[in-house]
Amino acid sequence: MEKLFVYFLQIWHGVGFSLTLLAGGFFVGITLGTILAITRYTRFRFITNQVITLVRSTPLILQVSIIYFAIPGALGVHLNVLTAGIIAFGINSSAYVSEILRAGIESLPRGQFEAAQALGIPKYYTWRDIILPQVVSNVLPALVNEIIALLKETSIISVIGGTDIMRRAQITAAENFEYFTPLCIAGFCYYVLVVLIEFIGKQIAKRTCHYHAKN
Amino acid sequence: MLKIRDICKSFNGVKILDRVNLQVETGGILGLAGPSGCGKSTLLRCIQKLEIPESGSIEYDGKAGFMFQDFQLFPHMTVMQNLLYVPNLKSKQRKKQEHQAIAVLKNIGIESKKHDYPVTLSGGQKQRVALARTLMTSPDILLCDEPTSGLDVATTDDVVQLLKSVNRVDLNSFGNFQKQTVTMVIASHDLDFLTKISDRIVLLKNGKIVADIKPSNFDDQIQLLKGYYL
Ligand SMILES: Nc1ncnc2c1ncn2[C@@H]1O[C@H](COP(=O)(O)OP(=O)(O)OP(=O)(O)O)[C@@H](O)[C@H]1O
Ligand SMILES: [Mg+2]
Repeated sequence: MEKLFVYFLQIWHGVGFSLTLLAGGFFVGITLGTILAITRYTRFRFITNQVITLVRSTPLILQVSIIYFAIPGALGVHLNVLTAGIIAFGINSSAYVSEILRAGIESLPRGQFEAAQALGIPKYYTWRDIILPQVVSNVLPALVNEIIALLKETSIISVIGGTDIMRRAQITAAENFEYFTPLCIAGFCYYVLVVLIEFIGKQIAKRTCHYHAKN
Repeated sequence: MLKIRDICKSFNGVKILDRVNLQVETGGILGLAGPSGCGKSTLLRCIQKLEIPESGSIEYDGKAGFMFQDFQLFPHMTVMQNLLYVPNLKSKQRKKQEHQAIAVLKNIGIESKKHDYPVTLSGGQKQRVALARTLMTSPDILLCDEPTSGLDVATTDDVVQLLKSVNRVDLNSFGNFQKQTVTMVIASHDLDFLTKISDRIVLLKNGKIVADIKPSNFDDQIQLLKGYYL
């Protein structure tokens, strides 16, 4: 019993790292993803297509390795594990976020853009105040799914030496020659975090969806 | 004065507007009639610059406001927010704008709905909010696309009164607007509605204006107009 508690403490230390990586990665992902989604409606839409194709056609583990090992080497700079992870997961997530937003934008009536145009609302404000608030509220469940997927993918950070939940569980397991308990504890940690994220997502949805038609 | 000269517009190689010429006096209410698909919306959209004509020119002083057939209120904003969004963006006189919005809502009889979201409004109420939102931008020309579609007879009569009051009554009493008159172009296939509201009706068919009548002749010529729908 005491052993369980010690294991748990060791692994729980990784939660902070995983969550920082998730928060940073998702922040970069949603910012870049929004820019990419809007870029689709300008003459620079090829940029969005290129990023999405690139991200989709390579494994995440390779993307993380390139950002951490290859690019700093080529440029002669040093990135710490967390920064590299945030950049890599952020870019990766931005491709998926921009696709989610694209679906949301396409599901809005075209008249919303036209109404804004007819009222003389400048493009920037149209996106910021008219289109995106509606889109985000419509695609909130998909965005929450993306956060959950990203949380699970952060476990790949161990390949560049990040000490997240998964890595801590492996270390604990190796030190004690016992795999079952540490890995179950890691699973439990992810499970709790996912439940928490879903709960927060539902609360936000309640607050932002008050204007939707109640069928 | 709204001057439309030789406007042509096609979609997928089909000419929808074929050298349309039209002039509307400042302060006039023009009814734009014609069978479904004849290009009424397209002409209004060209005036609002939502479509770009292939040739011809459209001239008017000031700016145009558009009322969409399906209103296109912003669903995530309350009625007040819908009215105040554009004015707040253009200047910082919040208090004055708020008074103006309340005055307009009072005049069109939906002040009690000011904090409601569009989804909770009836068709007629949405129509009023859409009108109020457009008026808040003080347009010189008001373009209305099928303002009565989906409304019952009583509500249609309300819309007639409402639009007439916007056009005729001194707008200052309507909500402290600068403008004295609003020119209107109202597209509708409902001839009865158009005869009630317009001081002139033109009929669009096969890309051209095929009839142009004044109210003194409405009674005689309405049968003629109806003939064009066959
Ligand atoms: N964006 C578009 N792309 C292709 N065709 C279009 C487009 N907009 C309009 N059309 C076509 O142009 C024609 C005229 O359309 P418009 O909406 O102007 O007619 P309308 O007179 O307003 O009809 P209604 O009374 O049904 O509203 C129609 O045949 C329509 O299919
Ligand atoms: Mg139409």
